[in-house]
Formats: sequence, C-alpha cells, structure tokens
Amino acid sequence: MFEGPIQDLIDELSRLPGIGPKSAQRLAFYVVKAPALDAKRLADALVAAKERMRFCRECFCVSEGDLCRICRDPGRDASVICVVEESKDQAAIEKAGVIKGRYHVLGGAISPLEGIGPDDLRVQELLDRVARDHVQEVILATNPNLEGNATAMYVAALLKPAGITVTRLASGLPVGGDLEYADEVTLGQALEGRREM
Amino acid sequence: MRLDWIELRDFRSYREASLRISPGLTAVVGPNGEGKTNLLEALYYLVALESPRVSSDLPLVRMAPGAIGGSAFLRGEAESGSGRFLIEVEIRADGANRVQVNRSAVRRKRDLRRHLRAVFSGPDDLDVVQGEPDHRRRFMDEVVHTMWPTKEGLASAYERALRQRNRLLKDWPGTGEPAGLEGWDAELVTHGSALTAARRQAVEAIEARAEEEFRAISDRGQGALVVEYRPSVEADAADLTHAFREALTARRADELIRRSTLVGPHRDELALRVEGLVARGFASHGEAWAAAVSLRLALARAVAEETGELPTVFLDDPFSALDPVRRRRLAEGLHGRGQLLIAIPDEQQLPEGAAVWRVRDGSVLIGEGTT
Ligand SMILES: [Zn+2]
Repeated sequence: MFEGPIQDLIDELSRLPGIGPKSAQRLAFYVVKAPALDAKRLADALVAAKERMRFCRECFCVSEGDLCRICRDPGRDASVICVVEESKDQAAIEKAGVIKGRYHVLGGAISPLEGIGPDDLRVQELLDRVARDHVQEVILATNPNLEGNATAMYVAALLKPAGITVTRLASGLPVGGDLEYADEVTLGQALEGRREM
Repeated sequence: MRLDWIELRDFRSYREASLRISPGLTAVVGPNGEGKTNLLEALYYLVALESPRVSSDLPLVRMAPGAIGGSAFLRGEAESGSGRFLIEVEIRADGANRVQVNRSAVRRKRDLRRHLRAVFSGPDDLDVVQGEPDHRRRFMDEVVHTMWPTKEGLASAYERALRQRNRLLKDWPGTGEPAGLEGWDAELVTHGSALTAARRQAVEAIEARAEEEFRAISDRGQGALVVEYRPSVEADAADLTHAFREALTARRADELIRRSTLVGPHRDELALRVEGLVARGFASHGEAWAAAVSLRLALARAVAEETGELPTVFLDDPFSALDPVRRRRLAEGLHGRGQLLIAIPDEQQLPEGAAVWRVRDGSVLIGEGTT
C-alpha cells in the first residue's frame, strides 16, 4: 500500500480489464514520474471519451453522436448489414474496405460458460432493423471460433425463414482467432469469398 | 532425434546440473525420492515444453522456503533431421514462461515439437490400463499430438464445445428448446468428428506394435494384447459427421432429461484385453504394467514410422513391477531404439551396456556401467 493519491490511482487502474495490481502500479508510477507525459491531457482524454462517446442507436458501435459516421452516410447500402461481435471488429473490417453496407454490433458472442445467452446480445435489435430497412443480405462476421460460430448459427436460423440471404466469412481466417488480429488482406479475402449459410 | 546436452538450474530438486547425453541407452540410478525422475522430466520438458507428470509448472521451480516467485532454467541442444536446436527455457513461478529456440522466441509448443519428438512412460501409465476410461482417452489424445503436433488443438476445441453445450443444457429453464442449441450441436459435431477420426488413426498406428512389444516382454502367443478403439460414434471417416448428427438427434430427448451431452468422443473407450480378458480389473500387476509400457514403446515406433526418425524415449522405473524374466526380456530389448533414458532405483536393474548417471541428493555423478 502506498499513501494518498498514488494508491487511489493504482486502485482505479487495477479495475480496468486486463490490468492486474502489478501493471496498475507500473502505470501509476509511470504517470507520476514521466516528465514527457502530460497527465492533464490523459485525464481530459478519459473524461472526453466517457462524456462524448456513446453507442450508435442504429448499429451499436462506439460513436461520437447519436448516430455513427457510417449510419449517417447516405452512400452506404442500407440493404446489407455486416454483423460483428464488438466495435473493434467493425473497425478492423472497415479498414479492409470491402463492406459497402452497414454494420450491427451484437455486443459479444453466445457463451453459456460465461452466462451469455442470446438475450444478452442485441439480436432483437438486428431483427427489427432487418424488417424495417428491407435488408437483403446479412453477413455474419462473428469471430471464427466456437462461440462466434455458434452465435452465427443462431442468428442465421432466425433470419433465414424471412428469405434473407445470410452469409458467413470464408475460411482462410485463422481458426480460433479473433477478427481484430487478422490482417487487412486476409480479412478482405474472407469477406469477398463469403459463403451462404 | 538426439539430445546432446542439458543444463538445469533451480529445476525441482536440482540447484545446478550439467550433463552430456549418450546417443544410445542411459540409465539414471538412484534411490526413490533422490531426483532421478526429475532429471528425466527436465529432459522431456526441454523438447516437449511441458511436464509429462504435472499440468501446472509451479512445482518445477525450486524455491527457498517462504520465497515467492523465482524461475527454473533449462538449456540444451538437440539434433534431428530438421536441424540443430539450441533450446532455452525459463519456467516462471509467476507469469508466462520464456522459450527461445536458436535465439528466437517460440510462441507455440508445436513449433518445436514438430521437429523434436519424445515419448515418456512412467508409473502413472498404469492408470491407462487399470484406471477410469478418461485415462485411456487422454492417452489416445497424447498419441495424436505426439504423432501429429499440428493436431494438438483438436482435443481442447472439442472439450470447450462440450463444456459450452453441457452448460447450456444445465442452465436451460426446461421449457421450449435451449436457445442456440443448434449452434453448439454444429460445433460439437465438427470438432467431435475431427477428434474421432484422429483417435482412430492414432490407435491404428499403435495397435499392432503394442501387441508385438507386449509379446516380446511377456513371452505370450499371438493376440496376447488386443488394443481396440471403441468410439461413441462408429462410422467410416466419410460418414462420420452425418452419423454423429444422427446419433445426437436420436438422443435429443434423453439429453434434455439428463441435461448432459450423451454422444461424442468424451464417451469413447480404448479397449485393452490381455489374453482375452479385459485388462482393467483382470490383468495381474505385472501384466498391466507390461501392457502400459508396451503402449508407449509402440507409440515411439509409430512416431519413427511417421517421421522416419526415432524419437527420444524416457522410461521412468520400467522394471520394478515386472518379474525377473519379464524384466530381463524388456531390458534386452532396449538397445537399438535410438536415444533412450531409463530411471531405475538400484544397480541390480542396470541393463548391460548402458551409460550410467548416479543421482544422490539433487546432484548427478557420471559413472561407468556394468558390462
Ligand atoms: Zn451506426
């Protein structure tokens, strides 16, 4: 235990995901000691991110306004929706530049072991959008691992009776991997070569 | 494959040791509890990057009483058909291990294991013959990933699909269908079929060889040891996924009542029969051990056949459970198998022509063997 503000900082940092007590201590001392680091700038960025960023009311990706940049863009094809687990996956796919349509962020994948069922994801919101916007194709770009596959299967089973084309990323992605770590070329190829479910 | 030398620091009972390794047969001699098994374990760890005895690395790190943290270090050099490998391992009591091969970091075990093959047999293997079926399933999976290191993920992928599906069935409120069950069916079938196919190949690779090894030790006639894969889903490779799916459908109602997955490789069995009798429960202690060691020796020969190169073999206490006749027959058969290291508790068991390491109180003396 340290005294005063440094311990408060360590406590706050160690509540972040992936930051253990040791890392929190290292980060806290770095912030205090590093002359090049403007602590004020870091603090402002944290506050601004929390205050100004929210989830897009259409696609649920992280967005600065009520609607994200992609949902606001009239040039994007509203009849195609690419479904991803998290905002970071959307960002990775967007970088590959092959999706002309829009996105839908589920907020995770089905995983009974972690207590995450379909009702904990934004599945109903997806079904509502599909019905309202006369969506023609849904691309399921959940991660190529067990949970991502099972989630894709679940969503596909709900969409197919409505006569919508449902596709899944082609193989070529590392199995068991995360989309966010796939390189742009591989991701682009996987999207181009998607197959119908 | 050939291990040339090893250096240990703070590994189990060893503060420090440095050893050159004979390309042929080496016997590590010492009373029980003095560290001879630890030495075989260190050698195996250097090439397999895991202990054959424990799943956690924590007990491998020698720590002063009351100390926390710390690391064990293994360093050594090995050669195989695919090149020379300088391997450096830091096993950390807290945190991820560091592994370097030829001075560059290795991320996955299989990146080293596909170049350097090793087989370990120890007293725990008695469970493969006499224990619960899960020991035999684990043995089959060890055969799979020793023979085909790229398939090491099959068993864990299936295990995860199974645990997810079982949890879904357990937490299901009991009305309607468990939501998303189809998705887990698909994952179970995909990974389960792949695992079933791999286990079948694995058993086919060792069954005849295990029988030969067993006869050589026990002086029995043809068919003395029968090794047979009994999968939960029985079908030709081409029909496996289809058959798996059908079996799941057939058991669906039962699964919903029992809230558990009733079909799949977690219910496989590896049938072992000695002289026509089920080895588990019927074989004598000596016969059971002869069968256990035969399975590992068969794996070593199957690996040699698959890779064109003899793996390094470790036999921890291979003779103690055998009567003098079987003991002599096994000992005579240990030469000509490439690099092989055995750990034995006393000099009486020394095979002829072996290099000898004498272990006493955490240190090793290199000695002369009997001739
Ligand atoms: Zn949006």
